Formats: sequence, structure tokens, C-alpha cells
Amino acid sequence: MTKHLDTNILVIGGGATGTAVAWDASLRGFKVVLVERRDLTQGTTGRFHGLLHSGGRYAVKDPHGARECIQENRILRRTHAHCIEDTGGFFVVTPEDEGDYPDRFKAACDEIGIPCAEIPVREALRREPLLNPRLSRVFEVPDGSADSFLAAHATADAARRAGAQILTYHEVTNLIVDNQRVVGAQVYNVATGETFAIHAAMTVNAAGAWTGKIAAMAGIEVLILPSKGTMIAVNHRVVNTVINRCKLPADGDILVPSHTVAVIGTTSVEVADPEPLRIETWEVEKMLAEGNKLVPGLSQMRILRAWAGVRPLFQETYTGGGRDVTRKLALLDHEAREGVAGFLTITGGKWTTFRLMAEAAVDKVCEKLEVKRPCRTADTPVPGAEQGHYWLGHRLHEVEEQHLQSELICECELVTRAMLENAVKRNPTLTLDDLRRDVRLGKGPCQGGFCTYRAVGILHEMAQAGAYRPDADAWDAAFLQSPGKNREPLSVNRDRNTDYSLPNTAPPSPNLLLRDFLQERWKGIAPILWGKQLRQERLDELIYLSLMNADHLPDAELTSPSSDFYHYDATPQEDANA
Amino acid sequence: MHTKSWHSVGPSLDACIKCNICTSYCPVTAVTDLFPGPKYVGPQAQRFRENGQPHSPDHSVDYCSGCRVCNEVCPTGVKIAELNARARAQIVAENGLPLRNRLLGRNETLGKLAQIAPRLANLSLHNPVSRVLAEKVMGIARHAPLPRFSESGTFGDWFQRTQHERLKSDKKAVYFHGCATMYYEPFVGKAAVAVLEHNGYEVIVPPQNCCGLPLLSNGEFDEAAKYHSNNVNKMRIYAQAGLDIVGTSTSCTLTLKEEAPELLDAFDEGSNQLKMATWDIFEWLRERYEAGELKTDFRRMEMVLPYHAPCQYRAHRVGKPALDILRLIPGVDVRESHARCCGIAGTYGYKAEKYQIGMDVGAELFDFVAEQGDVALTACDSETCRWQLEHGTDKPSRHPIEILAAAYGLYELNGRDVVHS
Amino acid sequence: MLDLLVIGAGLTGLTAAYTAAKSGLRVKVIAKGLGAMHWGAGTLDILGYLPGEEGAVKRPLAAISQLPDGHPYRLAGDVAGVLATFVALTEEIGLPFQREVGRRLTQINADSENLLLPSPVGAARPAFAAPVGQLGGDLSRPEPMLIVGFTGLRDFYPQLIAENLTRQGYPARAAFLPLAVVSGRRDNTAVSIARELDNPDQRQKLAQALRPLLKPGERVGLPAILGLDDHMQALADLQGLMGTAVFEIPTLPPSVPGMRLFRALEERLQRLGVRVEVGMEVTGANRGWRPETRDSQSPISNLQSPISIEWVETETSARPLKHRARAFLLATGGILGGGFESDVNGRVWEPIFNLPLTAPQKRSGWFRPAFLDPQGHPVFNGGVAVSPDFRPVDGAGRPLFANVWAAGGLLANFDPILERSLSGTAVVTGMAAAQAIVEHVKCEP
Repeated sequence: MTKHLDTNILVIGGGATGTAVAWDASLRGFKVVLVERRDLTQGTTGRFHGLLHSGGRYAVKDPHGARECIQENRILRRTHAHCIEDTGGFFVVTPEDEGDYPDRFKAACDEIGIPCAEIPVREALRREPLLNPRLSRVFEVPDGSADSFLAAHATADAARRAGAQILTYHEVTNLIVDNQRVVGAQVYNVATGETFAIHAAMTVNAAGAWTGKIAAMAGIEVLILPSKGTMIAVNHRVVNTVINRCKLPADGDILVPSHTVAVIGTTSVEVADPEPLRIETWEVEKMLAEGNKLVPGLSQMRILRAWAGVRPLFQETYTGGGRDVTRKLALLDHEAREGVAGFLTITGGKWTTFRLMAEAAVDKVCEKLEVKRPCRTADTPVPGAEQGHYWLGHRLHEVEEQHLQSELICECELVTRAMLENAVKRNPTLTLDDLRRDVRLGKGPCQGGFCTYRAVGILHEMAQAGAYRPDADAWDAAFLQSPGKNREPLSVNRDRNTDYSLPNTAPPSPNLLLRDFLQERWKGIAPILWGKQLRQERLDELIYLSLMNADHLPDAELTSPSSDFYHYDATPQEDANA
Repeated sequence: MHTKSWHSVGPSLDACIKCNICTSYCPVTAVTDLFPGPKYVGPQAQRFRENGQPHSPDHSVDYCSGCRVCNEVCPTGVKIAELNARARAQIVAENGLPLRNRLLGRNETLGKLAQIAPRLANLSLHNPVSRVLAEKVMGIARHAPLPRFSESGTFGDWFQRTQHERLKSDKKAVYFHGCATMYYEPFVGKAAVAVLEHNGYEVIVPPQNCCGLPLLSNGEFDEAAKYHSNNVNKMRIYAQAGLDIVGTSTSCTLTLKEEAPELLDAFDEGSNQLKMATWDIFEWLRERYEAGELKTDFRRMEMVLPYHAPCQYRAHRVGKPALDILRLIPGVDVRESHARCCGIAGTYGYKAEKYQIGMDVGAELFDFVAEQGDVALTACDSETCRWQLEHGTDKPSRHPIEILAAAYGLYELNGRDVVHS
Repeated sequence: MLDLLVIGAGLTGLTAAYTAAKSGLRVKVIAKGLGAMHWGAGTLDILGYLPGEEGAVKRPLAAISQLPDGHPYRLAGDVAGVLATFVALTEEIGLPFQREVGRRLTQINADSENLLLPSPVGAARPAFAAPVGQLGGDLSRPEPMLIVGFTGLRDFYPQLIAENLTRQGYPARAAFLPLAVVSGRRDNTAVSIARELDNPDQRQKLAQALRPLLKPGERVGLPAILGLDDHMQALADLQGLMGTAVFEIPTLPPSVPGMRLFRALEERLQRLGVRVEVGMEVTGANRGWRPETRDSQSPISNLQSPISIEWVETETSARPLKHRARAFLLATGGILGGGFESDVNGRVWEPIFNLPLTAPQKRSGWFRPAFLDPQGHPVFNGGVAVSPDFRPVDGAGRPLFANVWAAGGLLANFDPILERSLSGTAVVTGMAAAQAIVEHVKCEP
């Protein structure tokens, strides 16, 4: 018998929006299945700078979007408190920013209701000593720094607790269309190779940059303009407040403190496909040059990594791309637009407004299914929110208080062995990259130099002990990132009936895990490899070649679902236009 | 995450490639779990610290002794010990300072007070009852080698008193004596003056105060800044006049050269002039020697001399100049210690919770001395290290300048006084 | 005055200093910090792979002829002879390198084959010779292996090693011991456990715990923890107590075998009167000529005869410190050792003497797309071009200085990590360069 699942609502996409749709819909009492082709947040949600907007950035140009931002900013600080660091934000006027924009900015913030206070430059420099001392004005707004990985996990966790099924590593191969109605999707489990159908009364396309591809499966054209944004991370915080240039949004004008690093972003480049995203040499140089204007000397600091995400910009008809396309959310009722029932697309928007996007989508679902069920997400904190906002030092503090020094596997980011093991049990793990998203494995200065080997060894030991398997009961995302709350490995219920969401396959080959992660890290460092980071990379090479001989291990032929993604050429190229 | 002097030291954390060489060579980590190692508390923890954090995330950095073995072995030049000093300052700023550290940080004030009645001060400090009390009340380790106040007057008194005997010359050198020479060991200063004069230098001892290092190492940066700027004001005129300022305390000279400017953001012209004019006395003598200007009319001295270069030389980064000069003395078989640290590390080993760590760290050195056979003396440039060395080996220890003065026939090593001609 | 100032305290610098001091030169070693010896396996790796070729090199000395012209081995001439000197040095310092347990290594020639030793991930890593402590792991031996790790030790994974070895045809199984067997501490690293095992009582305890795990005919593989200062005795004790071969597998850095070798070499040098001063960063050379000028053309290359360097200066707490010598050997390593710097504009430069480098001077030429590309990354193949007597040369092959030599990882035309020749090239070029320096100094008045 062919396996299939029946549900009320099928959500496609495991990013911020998709998980929020699942959360919202299950809170409203729907039976929900969410499918994600890889790991949660592997798309744009996991590839942005982590800025929780106050709305200031859009106040002048897009007051409507700005209003949505400040409203959602306030909500998320409650519902996802533990996924946010309350850094606050500055809008700063550098010597290059001329004209009346600052005054217009202030007026617009006041008009919209974004708390915005001009503070003395001296005060700003006291709080952020590395800022450009030649700033002329500084405005303070309630920006924040968000952990979008943790947030998506927390949202998915909340959805799961409300009854939703979250199926990662499940790729939609086709939509099932019956008589002008989408009635579900064919799904391919990339971990097991299984294919099955999911039948649903409504299908919500929240596939982000892949939205157009999904819609095309129903014969619908949705014009998504993938706009690439490149970001780079500096080895340390540099600033502890979000720094925005007080001018119309442009390249490299935001510096976001994000956990142990500071992220400078972004560019905005129209691309044909959401993957792969090459980082061009000029983009790196531009980020550094712009970064220098905010923090003089930033370009001389150690750069850890570069990455790019795609904004899934939506436009009814093509008129131009990039920053001129609206950042408002777009909810497409395909029954009204193209006459295809049972199918909605939710796209556009920003991370900050993901909850609102879900609310709009599920409101529409209710309308379509002709039920009246009010949205509850704005008043329902996800599990873990009771911890309050996180702070930079929390991991170090917990490691110190509980003497976990000897447990550290990723020393740069203070990831303990139990955090790693428990993350494997909390979430299907096919690559170490999944653990990187879950617990920040390998995100520090050595970029996996030391922890790749350790993590592979530990996962292999778990596999040998029969403990390498996710467990539905362990799906508690609240303490995913806490060394102190992961003192012991979670016990796994080995007798549980297999849940579709949890790939019941043999654990990945340790040699493949190792190779994959080394290449994954390489992809992000190759564009920024010089100076200190180049020396670090050479030490990492010494470890994996001279010492380990890891390029001569069994299983050289194996690949994971993500191997291809790790293997595109990310090395610097001569600029075509240079 | 960056304290106010971020610019001079902070960026060096970026150089860390996580190789753990520092941890492997750290003498404190080697003996206690309480110190997770220089990389952990240094460049690694630093990425988790920030200005205005809710509270200091870590405390084990307090177990860094500041010996700087980590700085020395680091292949990438991370200023680990300095990062740690700053982190400690932030903990102090937050938690306030225990009375004990306040006292240990105020050498000079203690010295001045004790000089009212030094014998009484020694009696009251050095009896077992008061040491137990000091440990219980303040956490000053009862067995730690507290120095004795000079009972024959301060170095300053002596220099004043003998002004008429002092050499007058066109060649002049300024002497920075530091608190230890001033209040505890005036004979070290006398030896220094004798050596300088023997080489034809008129010695100037200008008004000066504590360099501020004990305050810095206990995290009292604001107080230390006052001391430092006083010294700059008192001594910069000599630097401006092109005179060299030499010191016998490796820690004081280090503070004037680097510690104070770097930790306190004192990059003003006066601080810089003082920095560039200051020399460790053997660093300076070695320069004279290499220029052919050092007198080598040494008397032969038959002795085996275990010599331990103090940790501060590691921070001076001038090699081991005292070793270079002592080896010129005929008959002296200088045995170089390769022990990493004596364990006292300034005021570290005086603290009750760290005393045993200090002794364990020092074991390497004490064993080395024991292996040299029945020697009469050991030598070390730093006063606190000498006290620890004496405490750990039961053998008297001398400043190399005392040895050198003796080799010139100007000094009596046992009685510790200049020879009156 | 010194005859030779060696800049760099890696294997290159130390073996060079030894060679020169043994020949009667007055030598000092200065270095910014400790070197790459502390990161590697601590074996003598001559040549493990030829770039682009899949299989391991069988006869490394014979394979040298297949290396490109200009490869450091091609310059060194009598590679086998130099290696023999190094092996003799390892015996002198009490850490003998051998190819077969218990047999002094006296014959090194073109027929000598690489050993295969278990790596920390269970791969078969080629090495030419190794400290005796690692030789029990020789994969050509028939005895099955018991790989023993310690629960909670983060730098060693016996099950992974055993599984990979077994899959490649080298039978091995894994076992764990509690860390408490060898350590009373909470925080443990290979180095801290090695210190514990300097104590004979701890070896007893370890042997006692190991014995019940062992099956007849098995040899025992442990992480490299068998003593730091008393390694040879620790090894002998444990083998005696166990009655079988016990061997070490190197761990993640810091490398205990590397640390032992460094400390023993340093001690040997001290006895030869050579001071090794670490924590000394060279910031300039000669008459205040500063490395900040990073022109691709060396400022002195257009002069008729090469100039001499009088001194280099190191950074101190105040004013720079000058180090004068008759000859200078630059052994600062390449990008790995910190001998080269590089920047966002694609420049790679040597900061002390501003020697011209062969590395591509733009980032687009630095890398290949795959991290583990069998051809390696071009940026790491670039370095200092030298004359046959290891003097840095200009584009026309003329020596740039009259009294500067260069050796080790900073040399051009090879990638020591890719070809697994890091320690071999260090020793061979270090000692060969030192020989050239000795001749030079002794000929000069």
C-alpha cells in the first residue's frame, strides 16, 4: 500500500514563515503537516544578519512596512523573547550622509510611533567606543538582534506541541492538482529515499525563494525576484548595539551584533536562482569599505565568514528589482487569481514580520475553509520565551557556573558534548551543518578546525550506542543552546513507533559527515580568506591532511542531500566588470 | 567586550588560531582545575564579554597569575595576559574589591606607615598569630613570604644621608627604586648606585611614587592611573633631557614602559617619553657592555649561582640581560633556570586561595635549585620572586645587581651592604 | 657577536641551529612564538603523496626525482645523508626515530618505503619514520589492534579509528577506560594526561585497567599520552606491564609527540650554548629598513652586489632590541608558521626581509573550489625562491643578501601539507641551509 498522510493544512517551507504558519494554524485547531526540503532555516531564514527591525529602516520610504515592523517587534519580544538579544539600535549620521534625511527620519518615526530619541554623539561613543568618532547625529531605536535559527525551532516546537507534524528533509516533488484544486503534494524523503503523498484541504506555499518553483508545479506563475544579499561576519562583536546608517537603505549600511560576532550587510543583487549564491569579490570589498565608515578599521579586523541569502521579493509584474521592490508581505489567493483552489502563497516581507505573514495566511485559510477561528499567536509565547532575552555572555556564564570547561566540543562557541548529543535527538541530523544551525557548532574563529573531528567522533559513538536518532519527545527547543540546561544527554525512547518526521535510516557515515562539513565551512571562508583567517585555514588543513589524512578515508563516493550545495565554487574570481 | 583600552590590546584576540599551545605551557593550568587555561579565559572568553553586560560572565580569569608564558609561546601574538588583566578589572568594577586586594595593591602606603615604627610593624606582621588572623580576616595566606620592612631606614633616607659621598659626573643616570627597594630592601638600591657610580655615572634619584602595578594587577585601574600620571609628572623632565631612567625592579620598569600606558590608555606624550627613557638596569648595562662602555674589572668569584629570570622579563621582551652580564664575571657558574614561574606572580601567591597554586607552580623552580647541589645563593631580579624563592628553597636569594656590585668589590653579599672604601 | 641568528623556533630553525652549533658556530634562535611542531603528528614525513595522485607514495626518496625542479628536496642534494643526521640527533636527545621497533635506523636509501600509521580518524597515514612510541601502530604488522580511549576525552575517538581501520583491512576494535584511571583532574587534555603518566604509579594503574580489556595477540593503541618528560620510560614500563606492543596515535593539537620533540631539541641546544628566545617578534632589519614597504620588487635587487644585513630588531616593551649576527637564517614558516602575511587585496608578503614571493598576488588565483582538492591550493605553493645553497634570490636567480638564508615551510614550489612533507622538508632544508651557512662563516675572515 502506498503510504500517505492526510491533514487539513500542508505547509511547504521550514523557514520563519512556514513554521509560523504551522504554529498559527495548529493553534487555531487545524491538523497541520509542514514539509521542508532540508533542515529548518536552511533557506533565507538562516542566511540573514539577524536584525529585529524597529521599523526605522523603512520609516521614510515604506511607512506601512515600518508600522508592521514596530508592531511585530513588540510582539516578538514577548512571544519569542529568548530568541532575541535586546541590543537596541542606533541610526547614525556619518560625514557622508548629507541632506535632510535625518530630520525626515525622525519625523517619520514619530509619525509611525517608533520610539526614536536623538542622543548626544558623545553618549553613543561612550556606549560604543569603536564607532566612527566623526558621526554628527545619533538616534536610538528599539532594534534588536535575533537568533533566527532558535526562533524557527521555537516556533516549530510550539506548532508540534499544538499537534503539527514537522517533516524536515522532505522535498515536494509535485503538487497534486485535481480539477483545478491543489489537494496535496508528492513528497520525497531525502533521508530514506521514500516517496509518499500528503493530502490536504489547503496547501500553503511558504517556500521563500523557492516559492515560484512550487507554484509552477500547479501551473501557476508567481514572479519572485530573488535578490541576493551578501553579509560578512567579523570575529568579535565590535559593537553591542545594532548600527544603521541614517540614510535611504543601501549596501553595507547595517552592522548587527549577533552572538559572538558582528555582521555587516548587505548587498542587493538580482539573481536567477536561489542556489547557489556566489559571493563576488566586489561584494566583500564593498561590505568592508562601508563597514569602515561605521567602525573605522573594521576592514582590518579578522573576517570569519561570508554568506548570502535571497530576499524572496514579490512583484506582480516585473518593473525592476532590488531595493525598490516592496518589502511588504504578499498573500496570493490562487483561487481568486488563477482559479486554482486549495492553494495559497505567502511571500515577500521580512523576518521581523514572519508572524504577521502567518496570521494573514491562516486568516485566509479560515476564510477558504469557511471557519471562524481567531489568530492566537500574538498572545501565545512559544515554549522558552519565559527565559527572557538572551545576553552575549550566557553560554560562558553557564559553563563557568557549572564547570563545564572539559565538556566543550566547539571551544570557540562554547558548545558542550551534551548540547550536541541532545540536538541530534531533538532534530533530524543528516549533516554537521544541521548542528551548526542548532547549537552554533563550528561558527567561531577556527571554523570547524577542531570541532569537526570531535563532532564526527561523538556522532559516531552515538550511532554505535544506538542513540543516534531523533526522538519526538525530545523536541524541546527551549534549551537547545544552553550549556547549563543540557547537563545530561536526553534519554531516547527506542521502542517508539516511527514517526514520519524522524528519518529511520542508518546514521550518516562519519567520513561523509566530516568531508561534508569541511567543505561546507570552506564554502563560507573561501571568499574572505586572507590574513589571520588564512593562517587559521592552513592550520585546519594541517589537521585534516597532515595529521588525519582525512582525504584518504573510506566512503569517498558517498554524498548527502546537501553535498552539492556545499560544493559549488565559492573561491574568489576576477570580477567580470573589473 | 572591549574595555576602554580596546585599541591597544583587543584586536590581538583576532589573531588566535585556537591551537592551545598556550594552554599546554601554562604553569597554572598544569597544577589546578580552577584555571581552565589562557586560551579559554583569554581570546575565547573575550568574545563573550561586552560593555554594560548584565554581569561578568566569568570568574576563572581571576586565577590567571599574569606570568605571561602564554604571551611568549603564542605563535600568533595574542596579548593574552593583557586581555585577562582587563577582564579582571571589569570584575573588580562590578563586584568591588576585597580589603585584602586593596591592601596588597598599596605597597607604598603600607611602607610609609610601617616606617613610622618598622620594628613594630615587622613584629606585628610577622608573628604567627597575626598571620593566622590575616588569613582568616583578609585571605592573605599565612605561609606566604611577606617581606620585612627595613629597620635601618629607607633607601631614600640613605641616599639623602650619603649625598656628600655621591659621585658627581657629566654622565648621569636616573634611578627608579620602586617601593620594595625604598621600604624593604634599601641594599638593592645601594648596590645599584654603587654599580652605576663605578661606571662613572652620577645617580639622580628624583621624587617618585609607586608605579601602580599592584593596583593594576588587582584591577584597580582608576587608582593606578593617578599613580602613573604622578610619576610621569615627576620624571618626564629627565626623559626630555635625554637621561636614561634605570630601575632594579623588573616589574616597576615594566609598568612604566608598557603596563601602565597600555592598560590605562596613557598614550600621551609624557607617558611615552617616560616609557622610552625607562630601562631595566641590566638591559641598560648590557647596552653599555655591547657599546664597550661597561667596566669589566671584576673580581673572581667562585660560586655556582642558580639564576631565575623573573616573568617580567618575558614581558620586557629583552631576553635575559642579567644572565648575559652575570656570565661575564669570572668564576661565577651561572645556572639558568628554565622553570616557567616561581609561582608568586606579584601578589598572586599571597592570596590564601592561591597560595598553594603558587607553591605548586614554583615547584619546578625549587626543584631546579635543589638539583644544583649545595649552593649558597640564588639570584633573581624581582623582589617578590626572590622572597618566594627563599620561601620555597630555604636559600638566600640576591638581586643580580648585588652580585655584580660584589664582583666589582663594592658590595658584601652576606651582610647585604655596600663596602665602605 | 653571534655567527648565526636563526629566526623561527620550528623544526627547521632548531635543526639548523643544532647543525650550526655542532660545527662550532655561536648561534641564537629567536621566534615570535612556538612553532608548527606542536601541531603535527611528530613523525618524520618525507613525502606521502604526489600532488594530484591518489595513492600514497611508496618509496619517498625515490619519488623525489618526480618532484618539480625547484622543489626544496631537489635543492638539498643528499637528502638521505641529511636525514641520517637528523635520525642520529633524535637518538642523541633520547627520542629515537625508527622505522622498525627496536632497530636503529641506519640505512636510509631510495628503496626505503613509507610506513603506514593509524591517524586519529583511522586513516592510514604515510610517514617515513616515527618516534618508537608510534611504531607499534605500523599497519603492515599482522596483530589486530585494540584502540583504547578515555570516556570524555574530547580529542580521541577510538570507535571511529577502529571502524575505519577495520574497513581498510586493518583489524581493530575499540574500548574505553574512565579518565579517572589516569587522572584525578576534571579538565583533561592529552598534554595533562601525559604529565600524569610521567608518574610511574599512574602507569601501573593504567596497565592494570588495560589488562582485562586485552585479548591474546592484540596490540594496544592509545592516544599520544605516554609521558611528557619521561616518555621512553613510560612506554617501556607500559609495554613491560602489558606484555604486548603499546603504541600512540597522535591527537588533535597540541601534539604531545611534537611537544616532546621540541622540548628535547631545545634542551639539547641549550647544552650546546644556544639560547632559544621565544616571544621575540622581528619588526625590522638593518638600518631601520622597515618591512612596511611591500613592493613586489625588493628594494635592493637592483644593486650590483648583494648587501649584508647587520642586525634585525625585535619588538620589546619599549624600544626595539637589536640582534647582530654574521649570518641570518629565516625559518619563520609560510602562511602556517606566520612567516608570511596576506591581505584582502591578494598580496602575500614576507615581512622581515621583504623577500619576493612566488605566490599569486591576487586572491582569484589562490584557491581551488574543493577544500580537499588533490592538487591543493596555489597560494600555499608559493614562497621564497632560493639558490642551491638556500639563499633567497631575485627573479634572475641572484642572491638578494650576502648573509641571509631561508629554509623550511616558507620555501617556494611545494605544499608541505598537501604532499605530507612538513617535517621532512623542515629537517632537510634546515640542516642543509645550516651546512651552507657553516661553510660561509668559516670561509669569511
